[in-house]
Amino acid sequence: MILAEDSAEQLRAEHEALIQFLYLAPVGLVQASLDGEIAMINPISAQLLMPLSPDGCLTNLFAALEGVAPDLRLQCAQYPRAQGMVFEGLHIHLRAAEQSKRAPQILSLTLLKLDEARIMAVIQDVTAEVRRERQLRQSDAWLNAILTRISDYALVSLDRLGRIVDWNESIARVTGFGEHVVGSPYSVFYPPGAMTPEHLLDRLREADRNGWSLDEGLRLRADASQFWASALIAPLPDREAFGLDEPQAPAYALILRDISDKRAASEKRRQAAFCDHLTGLANRRAFFEAAELELDRAAHTPRPLALVLFDADLFKNVNDRYGHPAGDRVLVDLAEALRDSFRIVDTVARLGGEEFAVLLPSTGEEEALAGAERLRALVATRLVPSDGGEIAYTVSAGVAVLLPGAEGQRDSAGGIDELIKRADQALYLAKGRGRNCVASWTSGLSDNEDIPKRSRNAG
Amino acid sequence: MTIATPSFDTPGLADLLDASSQEQLDALEFGVIGFDAETIVQRYNAVESQAAGLSPQRVIGEPLFTNVAPCLNNFLVAQRFEDAADDASELDDTIDYVLTLRMRPIKVKLRLLASASGANRYVLVQRR
Repeated sequence: MILAEDSAEQLRAEHEALIQFLYLAPVGLVQASLDGEIAMINPISAQLLMPLSPDGCLTNLFAALEGVAPDLRLQCAQYPRAQGMVFEGLHIHLRAAEQSKRAPQILSLTLLKLDEARIMAVIQDVTAEVRRERQLRQSDAWLNAILTRISDYALVSLDRLGRIVDWNESIARVTGFGEHVVGSPYSVFYPPGAMTPEHLLDRLREADRNGWSLDEGLRLRADASQFWASALIAPLPDREAFGLDEPQAPAYALILRDISDKRAASEKRRQAAFCDHLTGLANRRAFFEAAELELDRAAHTPRPLALVLFDADLFKNVNDRYGHPAGDRVLVDLAEALRDSFRIVDTVARLGGEEFAVLLPSTGEEEALAGAERLRALVATRLVPSDGGEIAYTVSAGVAVLLPGAEGQRDSAGGIDELIKRADQALYLAKGRGRNCVASWTSGLSDNEDIPKRSRNAG
Repeated sequence: MTIATPSFDTPGLADLLDASSQEQLDALEFGVIGFDAETIVQRYNAVESQAAGLSPQRVIGEPLFTNVAPCLNNFLVAQRFEDAADDASELDDTIDYVLTLRMRPIKVKLRLLASASGANRYVLVQRR
């Protein structure tokens, strides 16, 4: 009798210790059904998910993350195997905190399918880790650029303003340009829409600051054909010797390499990390990284930065009437229209659900409005095939511009938040005007307390 | 003299809780977690202990937001107490929340209480 009581007591103590172990685990753990209904959840999960949960509930994992990772449900449903890792360490970018500087900005999510009924999720705040990684990644790219075996390269001298100083054989070999290229800015090697005059100078300034500036992307040959290139700009070490007041003196070396054969591999890596699963557009992570970079650049060399938020009108009706797969096809169609309508230098991203964003560097209000209007009109003419016929749909857009010298440009975190908020308010205005409509932010909008923070529910 | 048992939304509850004995706290129908200016848990009642599956010995003396209820360590709850302490202002607010009691998501109302001096602070828990 005494023994039985002892062992019951021991079991109780062990159970309590186990519960406490789970309470204190420093990572979020969730067990849910395949459609996301939560069965078990530990405290760190609640700590990380509660601020995101649109309805303040934690009944469904996918619903809680809907605003920041809209395609989880789809990815889980499409996972072909009976059990296994659906994805590991997926980075989810949160809306840069309106609440507090210390709030998490990047979550890592791992999703494991246990069987046909259950999934297990691991959630972690990896904000600090990602910052460190980003620095490392840059160093990696640099090492890659010098250590990879070079088959051929063009060596180009640039002056202080990025103009080509002289011509040599290597330029002709790699790009096909002749001697007439001397005096042109190095943007002559970029396809139309891939470079702005401000970006051209940004790279030089970044090279001054870091000792080098590196990027990969499509480049243009003289015959208008394109190739995938790695471009490294480095300041010339002894340029003072050429005399700084001599404007045509060589100040930078540009090394241009044709790496078309490596494109497939590097693109695949990039897509896994930076692309939205459904539409192939930039994901939130890519969007916020691009925004951070643009604001940082604008803080050094002031220029306008425009943001357009697009939202498919009454999208819920499309889903309800034609089903989710058809809804997804509409989103893919909208993504295609967006990709075709904007420049290479613009960042076109899916932020969540049916909400898309386009970030337009060096673009003022008039141009941004025109671009948004062009897209709106284009979408209104499109039809998406579905089982029950063809689906016509429309979009509304909100435009906001951060002007040089504006308060927000000095603080990049506050800047992008403010810009998104304004574009959101303009979008809400466009919805209020009857949808299928573009509106621009005006200072009167921010005084209006009636406008909700998110336009998500405005349809 | 008998004092009516206070309910979850009784006004001025912090003072009543300060003056309550452990037996009185245990008789309440909602969960009580009392903690000090350093966030160390000082009081923990029977309802809360039962719901969380933790005995008071495992909880009292531990820092609330890291070792007892990490789920509250965000801007919705912990930040509110911090802000109130920074401003030396009083806090008395009730919010809807989800706790993970015994790893089940449980919808609750939380009442956050802090006096201006910040000496005694409470999180009260009622199921909704």
